Amino acid sequence: MIDCLCLAIIGLAWGLAVGGGLVAFITVLGIVPRLADLTKTANRLINYEAAVITGAIAGALVSLLEPRFGLANFFVVFIGLGCGIFIGLLAAALTEVLNVFPILAKRVGLEGKTHTLLWAIVLGKVIGSLYHWIFFVRLGSL
Amino acid sequence: MEKKVYIRLRSRHWSALYDTLHLRDIAQVITEGIAEAEITRLPVCKLTKKDRTIRVIDAMEIVRLLQKIYCDVDVQVIGPIQTIVYIQSKRKRAHPFLFAAVWLLLFIGAGLAVMNFHEDVSMQGVHIKIHEAITGRKVERPLWLQIPYSVGLGLGMLLFFNHVFKKRINEEPSPMEVEMFNYQENMDRYISVNENEAWKNND
Repeated sequence: MIDCLCLAIIGLAWGLAVGGGLVAFITVLGIVPRLADLTKTANRLINYEAAVITGAIAGALVSLLEPRFGLANFFVVFIGLGCGIFIGLLAAALTEVLNVFPILAKRVGLEGKTHTLLWAIVLGKVIGSLYHWIFFVRLGSL
Repeated sequence: MEKKVYIRLRSRHWSALYDTLHLRDIAQVITEGIAEAEITRLPVCKLTKKDRTIRVIDAMEIVRLLQKIYCDVDVQVIGPIQTIVYIQSKRKRAHPFLFAAVWLLLFIGAGLAVMNFHEDVSMQGVHIKIHEAITGRKVERPLWLQIPYSVGLGLGMLLFFNHVFKKRINEEPSPMEVEMFNYQENMDRYISVNENEAWKNND
C-alpha cells in the first residue's frame, strides 16, 4: 500500500515537471499567440490554452494506454497533416531559423530575396521529410 | 524676434560616396524667425573615402554648425540624437551563382536538419504507434500518415511566416520582417556608439 502511494506521489511530481516544461516550451516559442494573431482570435486565448492541455493529456493517455480506435485510413491523413503543421510551426518558430536570415541578407547581399530563401528552407524540410519516410527508413532496416 | 530651429534627425540615411549631405537629407526642420528653406539647404558634411561605409552625424555637430552661422539661434533637437549614414558603393547585386549556392545550402541543410530531428525523437516509432491507435492495424511504414505530415510541415512553416494570410486577413508583418528590423536596430545602436566621432574625440 505504502509503495503504491510512493509511486503515485513520484508519478504526480514527474507529471507536474514534464507538464510545466511542455507549457513553458510552447509558450517560449510563441506559437499560440502567433496563431491567435493570424486568425484574429486573441480573445479566445483561454480556449487555446484548454486545447493545449487536453491535447497533452490525450497524447499521454494514447501513448500509455495504447488504445485502438479502429477508424478508417481517412482519419490518419488528417491527423498526419495536423501533426505536420504543428511541427512546421515549431520548426519555423525556433529562433535559429529566424536569425539566419538577417545575417545572410546583409553579408551575402541578398536583401529583398529573403522570400526565395525562405522557400528553400520550406521545400528542404518537406522533401527531406518525404525522403526520410519513403527511402531512408527502409535503408535502416536493410 | 527670437530665432528658433527645431530639428528631428532621421535615424538612417543611405547615400553614395562623395555626396554632400544637406540638412534636408538627414533631418526634418521647423523654424521660427528664419526661412526654413535657407536652413534645410545648409550643407552638413561631405562624405569622403575616410568614412568608408558608415558616417555618424551627431546632433551636436548640427547645433554647432547652426550656432556658427546664426549666432543667436536656439536649436531644439527632438527625437534621435544622431543620423547613421550608410555609404553605398557602386557594388553590384549578389551574383546569381552565389544566390543559387546559398539557396542550395539552405535547402539541403533544412532537409538534413528535419531528418536528424525525426531520428532524434524517434518519430518513426511514434507514427507507427499513432497509426496503430487510430486504425487498429500495425504497419511498418505508415505512409498514409507520414506523407500528409510532410506536407503539413511545409504548410506550418508558411503559416508561421504569414505567407498564407498575407494581405488577405491581416497586414501584420511576418516574424522574419520583425527579425530583420530588430537586427538593423541593434546594428544601428552599436554603430551610433562605436562609430560616433563626437564621442571618439572626447575619449
